[in-house]
Amino acid sequence: MAVYSFKGGVHPKGNKELTAEKALTELIPQGDMVYPLSQHIGKPAAPVVKKNDMVLAGQLIAQADGFISANIHSACSGKVKAIDRRLNASGVPCDCIVIENDGQFTPAPGVGEPVDYSGFTPQEIIAKIKDAGIVGLGGAGFPTNVKMMPKNPEEIRYIIANGAECEPGITCDDRLMREHTDWVVEGLKIVLSIFPNAKGVIAIEDNKPGAIKAMEEAVKGNEKLSVLTLKTKYPQGGERNLVHAVTGMYMESGALPASLGVIVDNVATLAAIYRAVAYNEPIMTKGFTATGDAFNNPGNFTVRLGTSLKEIVEAAGGLKEGAKKIILGGPMMGPAISNLDAPIVKANNALTAYMEDEVEKAELQMNACIRCGRCTRVCPLGLMPQQMAKACERGDIERFVKLSGADCIQCGTCSFICPAKRPLTQLFKQTKPVAMSYIRMQAQKKEA
Amino acid sequence: MEEKRLFNLTSSPHLRSEHTVTSEMLNVIIALLPATVFAVFHFGLHSLLVILMSVVSACLTEFVFDYIAKKPNTLMDGSAIVTGLLLALCLPPSVPLYIPYIGSLFAVLFAKCMFGGLGKNFMNPALAGRAFLLISFGKVMTDYSTDALSGATPLAILNEGRTVNIGDMFLGNVSGHIGVSVCLLLIGGIYLIWKGTIKWLIPVSTLGSFVILMALFGTEGFDVKYLLTELCGGGIVLGAFFMATDPVTSPMAEINQIIYGCFIGFLSMIFRTKSGMADGTSYAIIVANMVVPMLDKYIVPHPFGIGKKGQTLPVPGDDTKKKGLALPTSAVLLAAITLIAGVALAGANALTVDKIAENQLAKKLESYASVIPGAEEFGYDDEVVKAIEGFDGGIYGGGSYGKSYINEAVVGKDASGNPVGYAVSVTNMEGFDGEITLSVGFDTEGTVLGIEFTVINETAGMGMLATEASWKAQFAGVKTDSFILNKGGGSTAANEIDSVSGASVTSGAVVNAVNAAVNFYQTYLAA
Repeated sequence: MAVYSFKGGVHPKGNKELTAEKALTELIPQGDMVYPLSQHIGKPAAPVVKKNDMVLAGQLIAQADGFISANIHSACSGKVKAIDRRLNASGVPCDCIVIENDGQFTPAPGVGEPVDYSGFTPQEIIAKIKDAGIVGLGGAGFPTNVKMMPKNPEEIRYIIANGAECEPGITCDDRLMREHTDWVVEGLKIVLSIFPNAKGVIAIEDNKPGAIKAMEEAVKGNEKLSVLTLKTKYPQGGERNLVHAVTGMYMESGALPASLGVIVDNVATLAAIYRAVAYNEPIMTKGFTATGDAFNNPGNFTVRLGTSLKEIVEAAGGLKEGAKKIILGGPMMGPAISNLDAPIVKANNALTAYMEDEVEKAELQMNACIRCGRCTRVCPLGLMPQQMAKACERGDIERFVKLSGADCIQCGTCSFICPAKRPLTQLFKQTKPVAMSYIRMQAQKKEA
Repeated sequence: MEEKRLFNLTSSPHLRSEHTVTSEMLNVIIALLPATVFAVFHFGLHSLLVILMSVVSACLTEFVFDYIAKKPNTLMDGSAIVTGLLLALCLPPSVPLYIPYIGSLFAVLFAKCMFGGLGKNFMNPALAGRAFLLISFGKVMTDYSTDALSGATPLAILNEGRTVNIGDMFLGNVSGHIGVSVCLLLIGGIYLIWKGTIKWLIPVSTLGSFVILMALFGTEGFDVKYLLTELCGGGIVLGAFFMATDPVTSPMAEINQIIYGCFIGFLSMIFRTKSGMADGTSYAIIVANMVVPMLDKYIVPHPFGIGKKGQTLPVPGDDTKKKGLALPTSAVLLAAITLIAGVALAGANALTVDKIAENQLAKKLESYASVIPGAEEFGYDDEVVKAIEGFDGGIYGGGSYGKSYINEAVVGKDASGNPVGYAVSVTNMEGFDGEITLSVGFDTEGTVLGIEFTVINETAGMGMLATEASWKAQFAGVKTDSFILNKGGGSTAANEIDSVSGASVTSGAVVNAVNAAVNFYQTYLAA
């Protein structure tokens, strides 16, 4: 079997076995449901409900404001308790709609009813995706309907279903592909119906044989669909690396996959598209993994958006005494958080809790850079983190930009591999915004 | 609800690999261990003392420096041990113990600590220490005899023109510096590449370019045995795998690693073939180390995808498109580059070889024309050709004319085809700098018409004065059985030749060559 990959990358401990065989179980939220108005890239949505309004599950509560924005729906029935500023998971205040959950989950009219979508035109499908408020569920949160409207739909040759799930520990996409294989495959077929010349490729890392088998069976006989096994390596699911692994093409920095005739969608996004088109169901639930050695009972859950993280922690058996760190997402890219009152939003897919903080230990082992070059070897974008870090440390933005530092996706591989335990990714996170403004400034100078 | 807990807030990634600086250094020590143990058994106990002294001195220097400079103790990173061990491996096994002590002290103090410690040094400390020792204690540093083994190193033996057993060299069963076992060093190097501790492109490009350049410009050319001997001799393998790859002083980007490796290979070749030293790998690496900051600064590779977007869309599910990627692309690239460079250089060499031969031919014809002034064309006489073939390349006249050889003889004819004279090309090997080849012209009566040099490499301003027209003119117009060299000058007789002042060896060789030609004329050409 051909195993597709890219150059560089690392092999962090997978720890997927903690939850890989834990089926998705539905989590019934008890407390208030909170909906930040900005769960996506672009402008925050505009609320369409007022305080004390009664809402039903699947009802629109905030509307997309502008082209790049997304609708937000309530995932429960109840009363709008407040529209005010609350802290999100990272501790940043943001505007939220708070709904007092009545525990009934009464669906709004039409939501969840099967629809015959065989005669839908591409425009109708894209409208459905837009109405359902679907955004990239892999983490980026880019409005999916915008992605489905490239300038040149007939030139799109590939739809890549991203089932790589390369972050250590997370297994909810794996479970989704095994338990709801048809949602993903049908979702992919719906997207293919928008692009007449495209073929669908479901790309899965080879550490998920169950998902690969299920998908291969589901696509059997359909010549437009195929399953591609990727080598298990982090960050295999990164968009530029994934496009390269699947098609052999290189995405330039700043380019969109569509410019190469490729559209990449997370498998969870495709499942949501299927639910939206075939069942008229806006995005209300998603797969979610709670993992790490600090949970008493790690597992996979189908959670309703807006559920408090605290309820997830409880569903996973609670935290062990002495848990040191909680990460929203996977350990390679997810931010460490302290506020468990925050809700789950569209782009979240995991909560990782650790008894030990490796970063804390690493700081004690920190050493001078010995220029071993491991960071350069593993960087999935072929950058030179060691040189970039040197530029950051002396504040040389020009050099940082010359080294293509602005291309850094902050995947964390360099910090992971560094024998001297240098905080490379961390430096780049600080410097990248400065570098971006420097680039803009240079561009303006050129124009002037 | 449970009470509020405090969690650590740090920036991602939250995982760290198992690599540490100490583990990297430990890998190097493990890789060097087989060769070190072998050396102790091969050279005896004293070499163990040298190794220990070197390591202890390196560690002590670092410890004391850290203490005095009030810096955190950095002994635990293990780099001082590596420096000490590497330095010991390139010392002769029987050096007195103050040598490793001073070498390690210099290496750690001046090449590392003073530049800010680990990661800040600009050249490999062990090599800096070795260079310092070679300059300061040249005699003991080049004395490779031990109680167990005496005599010269393989490279020194080669310089004397004797041969050595490559198998022994590969295994390390010869005299040399402590890290003498090429085979065990190679195993260590491969271990480091497998562990990812060293950048594999550096040893590959260093050794690759070294072999290619030695084949092109070495004394033996493309001779497998010679090349293997050069590879196994001296410190090139130790240098390529353990010193050139010193992470601190080697470049980051792959392209720079190739340039750096080839530069070391090039310098090693120059130092080996052109300098008086038997082996200059250590200096080659030091010089290349100094180029690294510039390489890092000015040659920045394109990141992912830049300049590669012009690919056509492959057909989904078509597996053939991926075949090329199964091989490590950089390895293929490197192989291709070295192959092309090798072919190009070999081609250039072949072309110049032809050119040189062509030039010599032209020179020879020119000389014939100048020594038989009346001749319009030249021809061979079958019998004379046969006679020369009969010498079978042997010395002419059984040594009566020194080491003289008759190359060929031609008949000069005028426009109407009548013979007007003869030219004999003769070589004498006893010039001050070896070969002197000249043509001697005779008229049909046996009078010498003149001589002309075709090959002469004597000392400028001395032996080369033989090529002056006035000196050559002494031979012209004389008919004699034998010329006599007059070393004192002021000749009176026609067949006496004044020696070129201060170049009696050259003059003697020329006179012997001309006499050989005269004798040849009288024996084979005189009608």
